[in-house]
Amino acid sequence: MTRRRTDGAGTLGRRRISRRQFLKIGGAGLAGTALLGAAGCGGGGEGGGSGDLVFAMGADSTGTIQPLIDRFNEQADFRVNYREMPTDTGQFFDQLRTEFQAGGGEIDVIGGDVIWPAQFAANGWILDVSDRFPEEDRQAFLEAPVQSLIYEDAIYGVPWYTDAGMLYYRQDLLEESGISEPPTTWAELKEMAPQVAQENNMNNGFIFQGANYEGGTCNGLEYIWTHGGDVLDGDQIVIDSPESVAGLETERSMVADGVAPQAVATYKETETDPAFLGNRMVFARNWPYMYSLAGSDDYPDIKPDQIGVAALPTGEGGPTHSALGGWNLLINAQTQKADQAWEFVQWLSEPEQQKFRSLEGSLLPTLKSLYEDQEILDAVPVIRLGSEALQTSKPRPVSPYYSDMSLKLAEQFNNALKGDVSPQQAVKTLQEELTNIIEQGG
Amino acid sequence: MTTASTEKKGRGRLREEFANPERRMAYYMVLPALIIILVVAFFPILYSIILSLTQSTIQGIGPFAGVDNYVTMFQNADFMSGLWNTVIFTVVSVFFEFVIGLAIALAINRAFRGRGLVRAAVLVPWAFPTVISAVMWRLMFQDQVGIINYVANALGIISKPILSDETLLLIGSIGVDVWKTTPFMALLLLAGLQTIPGDVYEAAKVDGANVMQRFFSITLPLLKPAILVAVLFRTLDAYRVYDLFWALSDRQLESLSTFVYKGVRVSQLQFAQGNAAAVFIFFTAFAIAIFFIKVLGMQTSSEE
Repeated sequence: MTRRRTDGAGTLGRRRISRRQFLKIGGAGLAGTALLGAAGCGGGGEGGGSGDLVFAMGADSTGTIQPLIDRFNEQADFRVNYREMPTDTGQFFDQLRTEFQAGGGEIDVIGGDVIWPAQFAANGWILDVSDRFPEEDRQAFLEAPVQSLIYEDAIYGVPWYTDAGMLYYRQDLLEESGISEPPTTWAELKEMAPQVAQENNMNNGFIFQGANYEGGTCNGLEYIWTHGGDVLDGDQIVIDSPESVAGLETERSMVADGVAPQAVATYKETETDPAFLGNRMVFARNWPYMYSLAGSDDYPDIKPDQIGVAALPTGEGGPTHSALGGWNLLINAQTQKADQAWEFVQWLSEPEQQKFRSLEGSLLPTLKSLYEDQEILDAVPVIRLGSEALQTSKPRPVSPYYSDMSLKLAEQFNNALKGDVSPQQAVKTLQEELTNIIEQGG
Repeated sequence: MTTASTEKKGRGRLREEFANPERRMAYYMVLPALIIILVVAFFPILYSIILSLTQSTIQGIGPFAGVDNYVTMFQNADFMSGLWNTVIFTVVSVFFEFVIGLAIALAINRAFRGRGLVRAAVLVPWAFPTVISAVMWRLMFQDQVGIINYVANALGIISKPILSDETLLLIGSIGVDVWKTTPFMALLLLAGLQTIPGDVYEAAKVDGANVMQRFFSITLPLLKPAILVAVLFRTLDAYRVYDLFWALSDRQLESLSTFVYKGVRVSQLQFAQGNAAAVFIFFTAFAIAIFFIKVLGMQTSSEE
């Protein structure tokens, strides 16, 4: 250091040259940084040779994905690497969209939400697997998850595991009140809930997810479906119907008649669990996961045997329908390794692997045969109890513009639930807004 | 004549600048920095403007559309409610932050025991990350466990749960923002107060000025530069509100920034509109800053 400094002072006369040199060095440095940056963007990958397959899936709380991948890698002649994505569905979707926009990225196989296929397929981002996954093979899977993968007569993936809205009820409390069967219609539920709640000093009897978000869309759709209404028929928006109005009227009446708390319009699953499992509700609409929380360290008050699960009640003569949730296996359309990707997808959806995830992670399989597997039915009782709901689940509107539609649906359902707009007005607005979205997109 | 001569003078000046190798070298040396600024700062802005003028989608730039996106944006009820919420939020919250912040600054400007401790304590709300404090307040507004909702309900102030009503949510957001950023305002104003020399007040006292006269004729005018800086900072900050609204209202309350996010990141169809809104935010924020500098006479540098 000291020597250099004396050098500098000694060559005062050559100052300009040294400046120029400095500039050159600086320029080279900058260019280097830019190159590094570009390499960082392009590379971006984590480890693994170039021949490896990348499997992207949201953070896995059940701890069952890595063991499965390890098992696959042992027997296959190529390797699969698991890339963890955000747990939040919306963020996961965002990130995938960004990668696809940038030209495909390096993900080969995706574990994706059931509401994604149409949105990705319309942009040509995921692989059409109609030839690899023919009609006769699809028979082995539950119908609704398969439907969620079909866009314009082609199929874009394989169902992996499933989810459906269900009616939870307190079997013990119903029995004490002399009720032997859970309600099959919304009217029955509205009768039972306040009665049982009152006898047990509860403020309200029924809780569901009414907030302005994706889950609110699911709940609203279920009210519409169970009254015989629907949103989309082919390319046509058909939500403006007396059936839809009746559905939203029933949903609103839950609050208006005091069956559900007023604040249900702000509730998500996170408010539902503690209310129902904390002995403050008689009925709850929720996804299958809540069953496994009963009696756990977080919710010790209510034991699983106090809880019953049934399909959602219906309106006047409507069929029962639950919103379909769950995850599908999709393949990136830009992958260089479509055959290997398909091999991996097929392997993951095989009975043995699905069974492993069901037993270890309490997840619901998509293969029909597994619903008769005694080992699974014993280990995950909610599959047995809620099988009717699972069999009658229905995909949310399959459209390339589902994200836009869902924002509008959630908003209007929430407004109607709060009583800010009438159900008639809500479905009328939705008919207009959703038609607009379809026209804009078309 | 005059213009010609100044032009000549200007050109001569230019030649003089570049004829001098030392000076020329200096320009070469700032050039890389200038280019980087152009690339990282101006290119994205320019690109947003271009996107906002075309029918672009997330897939890429589409055909030129003129101001169509801006027209549909102003017809979009979500955008208008975002604009309305943002303006009310900005004006009301900055007003209260200024008034309360000034009061706090005046109070802790005096010498008293434990002044350092009080100053540090005042800053606590500001030290929280916004998302954390928003989630914390959301719990207090919540209907099952929230104390504020419980008290307001017991007193009969509210007829429905706070979180289910947008007006109440907006009022809540303003309250939380005032709680959170008043300390920041107070700190900036306190710094300004400490630059006012004490002898000015003594002279005023000798001349018989009372407290109010001293405040309005000495403190406020001398504090003006600090006030303008603090209020401008807060205004621009509040104008871009995003995290507070989304965490506190759980995505119910729309602001300009949340509208941009929804358009660009969530929607498949409103990408161009989202960009138009981003450009709108940029230029209106710019206009606010210009207003402070030109109309209110804010000094941007210490040179006169």
